[in-house]
Amino acid sequence: MDSDGELAERLRDGDEKALREAYDQHGATVFYLAQRVLGNRADAEDVTQLTFVAAWTGRAGFDPQRGTMLGWLLGIAKRKAVDRLRSAARDRRVAETVSAQAPAPDETEPPERIIDRLIIADELSRLPAEQRRTLELAFFDDLTHPQIAAVTGLPLGTVKSHIRRGMANLRRRWEVDGAAFGSRSAGASRAR
Amino acid sequence: MRHLDPDRLALLALAEPLDSFEAGHLAECPGCRHDLDALRHVAELGAEGPDLDRLPAPPARVWEGIEAALDPPERRGRRSHWLLAAAAVVVLAVAGTVVLNRIVRAPAETVTARATLKPLATVPADANGTVRVLSGGEMRVDVRNLPLTSGFHEVWLIDPDHPTKMIAIGNLTDRPDATLPVPPGVDMNRYRLVDISDEPHDGDAAHSGHSLLRGTLTS
Repeated sequence: MDSDGELAERLRDGDEKALREAYDQHGATVFYLAQRVLGNRADAEDVTQLTFVAAWTGRAGFDPQRGTMLGWLLGIAKRKAVDRLRSAARDRRVAETVSAQAPAPDETEPPERIIDRLIIADELSRLPAEQRRTLELAFFDDLTHPQIAAVTGLPLGTVKSHIRRGMANLRRRWEVDGAAFGSRSAGASRAR
Repeated sequence: MRHLDPDRLALLALAEPLDSFEAGHLAECPGCRHDLDALRHVAELGAEGPDLDRLPAPPARVWEGIEAALDPPERRGRRSHWLLAAAAVVVLAVAGTVVLNRIVRAPAETVTARATLKPLATVPADANGTVRVLSGGEMRVDVRNLPLTSGFHEVWLIDPDHPTKMIAIGNLTDRPDATLPVPPGVDMNRYRLVDISDEPHDGDAAHSGHSLLRGTLTS
């Protein structure tokens, strides 16, 4: 989050290089979200472009105290992508045709959930290496805690404490970013 | 009522079995159930990924579009006047060259950027090369005294500000000079560091990390 703060400050000061850094760090993640929501690459490229241009013009609105830069960017990207979907639907109604070639957007997973996955993946990548590795073994390889201890050579107590801390971090980040930038719909909020 | 320890909930969310007290408590306590559900949901999201380090970057034209949109119109206006003037000079120069070439011999070609390649510290000092970028979008690479390789020599364009960002341009053959196409849309102001590497035949398309020559393009 500290690097977010520094980047935010440079962005606010109008430093175009800071935007480039934000793009290098998060462009692929924004692009992934746009592709998943829109279901086609050309629109996803446009939306990625629009997102960073909007981030630049709206840079005064980013507050690193409220959430992360990635959460903020994904919130913008979601709005742009949803706008694009709506205008595409309008165009189709006007033309009274349904485009057969365009692959259907992924309707099974709402944008908010894709964002949640990306936020969790980002937080996972920021965890201390051992914590991250422990959680990955639990998530991806579906190992039990004693199995993780055997694979990593860590004492079982350490494995459990990595899992507790790591999960607490992921959950906190999920709640903070979800609440901060309206990336999550109100109904899905887990805040008490 | 004694609630479940938050630390314990994190473990329960990840496959650890419930004991009978815990199962009984969860059946009664909406608060603990809510916490466990939230943690399970986080674990489920975590398990689905993706791995952010492996997501492909958007194509270069996306950033070019962003940059173009940031550029204030008046600045672009000024620049285009300047560009026009510069273009006029180039046209005159080219015209002059064409006339000269007609008189002398070779066909006309405009060099838009060039670089002198110098050997890296681990490479014999007599290895060297030159690169000329031609207006038609080709790169003429001329190398001398490269150390022999059991693999092949590959040409890269690297962004010196972000050295992990690079574009593979093509391979060199046994001949000292090669003409390689530059992919359209590559920003040569950004990818201005030319790098010749020694690549093993290992099926790995990434840079081997073994650079032989380098030089920066200037126009």
